[in-house]
Amino acid sequence: MEYVLEVKNLCKNYDNFALKNISFNLPKGMIMGFIGENGAGKTTTIKAILNIIKSYQGDIKIFGLDNKESIEKIEENIGVVLDDMFFPEILTPKDINNIMQSMYKNWDTQLFNNYLKEFSLRDNKPIKTFSKGMRKKLELITALAHHPKLLILDEPTSGLDPVARKEVMHIFQSILEKEECTIFLSSHITSDLESIADYITFINDGEIILSKTTNELLEQYGIVKCKEADFQKIAQGDYLRYKKTKYEYQVLIENIKDFQKKYNIAIIDKITLDDLMFLMIKGDK
Amino acid sequence: MIGFIKKDLAMIKSNFKLLGILIVTYSILGLLGKLDISFLLPFITVMIMISTFSYDNYNNWDAYSICLPKGRKNSVKAKYLATIIMILVISFITGIISLLISYLNFKVINYEQILITLLGTIFGTLLVITFMYPIIYKYGIEKARISIFLIIFGLFILIGFISKYIDFTFISNILSLLEYYIIPIIIILMILMVYISYKISARIFWKKEF
Repeated sequence: MEYVLEVKNLCKNYDNFALKNISFNLPKGMIMGFIGENGAGKTTTIKAILNIIKSYQGDIKIFGLDNKESIEKIEENIGVVLDDMFFPEILTPKDINNIMQSMYKNWDTQLFNNYLKEFSLRDNKPIKTFSKGMRKKLELITALAHHPKLLILDEPTSGLDPVARKEVMHIFQSILEKEECTIFLSSHITSDLESIADYITFINDGEIILSKTTNELLEQYGIVKCKEADFQKIAQGDYLRYKKTKYEYQVLIENIKDFQKKYNIAIIDKITLDDLMFLMIKGDK
Repeated sequence: MIGFIKKDLAMIKSNFKLLGILIVTYSILGLLGKLDISFLLPFITVMIMISTFSYDNYNNWDAYSICLPKGRKNSVKAKYLATIIMILVISFITGIISLLISYLNFKVINYEQILITLLGTIFGTLLVITFMYPIIYKYGIEKARISIFLIIFGLFILIGFISKYIDFTFISNILSLLEYYIIPIIIILMILMVYISYKISARIFWKKEF
């Protein structure tokens, strides 16, 4: 399998936070959702991938090239949306188009203008007059208009209303249909990812908890809902986390079929990424 | 690289009106023979360029620029080049206006005097960016604001001190010895100090994490 992004044993230490041995691979043409609560290490990981932070341990390869040694070959083919980082807000979309024409060999003015029209963004208005959602759309458009082979998006849907979020997700899907693009997308709005992500990588407190295909996660993982008596029957190695609520136990299991063979417990719900995040972070072992 | 320069110039286009008003004011005052504010124009240009750092900082442009092609390398270079372009353009306009004013006032045009005044002003403005830009790249524009004040204040104190205690006949003797070389020496000195300043800023930016 050809990987567009390979992260191996990434470590970075701060005074009160650390990334600990982050490793995952993103195959070509796929969308990976990078999930985790705020402060889990998503943005720090992305900054390391993009060389915004440099002093880390571990290896990061993009298009098979080392991201420090070959950054100039890599940058031309990457599109980025970063949380709270963009062009100065006194500039207009027209300025951005003019600037980016000189930055990227593949900059596509027509595509940029088409997206502006599609999202109803005026090209002669300064960014500071745009709402948060409009700015986010402009950031996305800017990331897309040079036909990148890899999109790295940090919280691209935060601040968008549900309609705009759907529009953005639709754009991602249409890009994948039209172009040979791979997407690495961090978000804490996990419902956005369930429908579009091929892979989910889950980070918590600077550590990767899991990295699997979305199908695998949503089909195999489940939540057992049972009374205390039934919970006591479940061996500790057969569940990942549990949470005691007022009326029941919610038990996160890794494989519904294996569990059903072993235990006769009727209520096993399929999992959502929200449930998974909640139980993995707040549940007991 | 051109893209980065375009970005810095696009950021100051809203200030072109201010510069235009200043140029007209300077022209009128010059024609009336009231006051020579030619030195102000390049200094205000530098202040406008320094103000672009605030916008960059507010939108975390520096971090974003690193993700653009050759961003770490070209972002700083472009800031210096855009500043120098603006200083030279404004100085050139100021020089042309000075010539016109002399012509319209039926004065004998002293080309050397105009050139020396312009060079002195360019030298002064470049001296400001030579000190300022590395400080801004190292500590950020917010902290650097205080040092802007300190540097300008310090320069005035230094000039005051020099003018009080140093015998200018000695300096003017040296300058008269170098009479034919003074302009190339100033130009070389300017290039050298801006180059060293750029190298320091580029090194700071290269290592910087956001």
